Amino acid sequence: MRRTRSWMALLLVLTLGVAATACGDDDDDSGSTDTTAASSDTTAAAGGETAATLDGVTLVSDGELTVCTDSPYPPFEFEGDDGEQTGFDMELLRVLIAPLDLELAPTVTPFDGIWLQPAAGTCDLVGSAMTITPERQAAALFSDPYFDADQSLLVRVDDQDTYATLDSLAGAVIAVQTGTTGEAYAQENAPEGAEVKSFDEAAAMFLALESGDVAAILQDFPVNAYRATQDDQFVVTETFTTGEQYGFGASLDNTALIDVINTRLAEVRDSGEYDEVFSEWFGEAPQ
Amino acid sequence: MALTRRQRSRLVRWGVYAATLALLAVTALSVDWGRLYDALFDWDIAKQLFPDVLTVAAKNTLIFTTLGFVGALLLGLLLALMRLSSAKPYRWFAAGYIEVFRGIPALVTIVLIGFGLPIALGVRVPGIYGPGALALSVVYGAYLAETIRAGIEAIPKGQMEAARSLGMSHVRAMVTIVIPQAFRVIIPPLTNEFVALLKDTSLISVLGVTAATLELTRFGRSAVNTYANATPLIVVGVVYLVLTVPLTRLAGYLEKRSRRAR
Repeated sequence: MRRTRSWMALLLVLTLGVAATACGDDDDDSGSTDTTAASSDTTAAAGGETAATLDGVTLVSDGELTVCTDSPYPPFEFEGDDGEQTGFDMELLRVLIAPLDLELAPTVTPFDGIWLQPAAGTCDLVGSAMTITPERQAAALFSDPYFDADQSLLVRVDDQDTYATLDSLAGAVIAVQTGTTGEAYAQENAPEGAEVKSFDEAAAMFLALESGDVAAILQDFPVNAYRATQDDQFVVTETFTTGEQYGFGASLDNTALIDVINTRLAEVRDSGEYDEVFSEWFGEAPQ
Repeated sequence: MALTRRQRSRLVRWGVYAATLALLAVTALSVDWGRLYDALFDWDIAKQLFPDVLTVAAKNTLIFTTLGFVGALLLGLLLALMRLSSAKPYRWFAAGYIEVFRGIPALVTIVLIGFGLPIALGVRVPGIYGPGALALSVVYGAYLAETIRAGIEAIPKGQMEAARSLGMSHVRAMVTIVIPQAFRVIIPPLTNEFVALLKDTSLISVLGVTAATLELTRFGRSAVNTYANATPLIVVGVVYLVLTVPLTRLAGYLEKRSRRAR
């Protein structure tokens, strides 16, 4: 029975192969491959001089900055006509890494707990309209703030007088996105008798508002405002000044990468590149 | 190798056993148990999930499942009878329905019924459990229709003929003689469908969840965020098993009993 014997040999080889890979799993606590990116002393044509270098920065995959983002969340991240991820976050990141010989590699990830992804080795950085909060800072290392965002209410045009304020929503359903600061804000400030409904994705919230399933959406002002300009059946009725700021997040031990991002953020703010990207997406220079 | 066939097969079998054991041993040695426990089996976190994981999450999962399955059974029976009907339009309708709703992912059907119906037709399914349960009934009705049809076709023609010769109408013979026997035949596939439906209730959260409609999977996922730890998922997984295992045991018992009854 030649067949039996060769089958056994195959099984043995397989077993040994699996065993070998299992043994090769050393006990250091980085889940990512240890590819230290070569430092880029060469000045890239795109960005000119930069003080930032990639010395000591460990990347998930060589030559790419892998970014976790909860797309679509226009105008911050969404798929453009060419199939590439675009939006304020993505384009700002592209400007930031331009002189570093890196490609931007966006990975679409649900927002719920997205700041834990770099620690899990899924991506190097989270760039997803993410507010810097103390709770999130316990699990991720944040860059300097790159955007100021407040919360706001989006309602159907027909309801704009009925639901002009958050307090007028008593007895109605308010849509929020799971894991967002908007969700926390709604749970703390919604009037008595209002019901808070959490959605996994922004797209579902807009569908729910259109279908009358919810009375209002409470989320970041820029996102609601952008939607209202794109879709004339919705309107923003109230904004809440919360002093929220967005930051890029990395794993707690990745100070090297955050240093690079912070250096570059300061550079593009000085050079006027930040303002260019900002006005491209929000139609005006930042206040 | 001058081995008899029996010796050879025994050798092969022990070879497989040995290889499996070696693999298990290597895995056990290479796993960092301390880290595994911290990330997946944190007892303090697990304790904090009770009683909500049962009183809210498991309860809602069961409500969605029960409503969805009862609806699916009724719809499936109706569709199965339509497929077996002698009237062609009935047969076409049922065949078309089954093709469509078996072919579309459940998630799409859920979104269509939850958001599509109100946007397109202004029709809203009533109740907090309504849209999700109805969507699952619509999807699983298609699956169950085929299962039930197979069950009915498995009953020998002689049963119907004998009932008719006793003077029963076709409908009465179906209801009292054929369908009860058909259900006895299809207990195992019905159990399968029930368990699949129970797990698919996790898809309903795409329609948004309130504190009142939180089901197991979503409960687990939000707890994972709260504690930045994967333990809640393990707890939720165990709760799912606690719900499904007794059910499959019960189905096994019913099967045995119906075998005895023959």
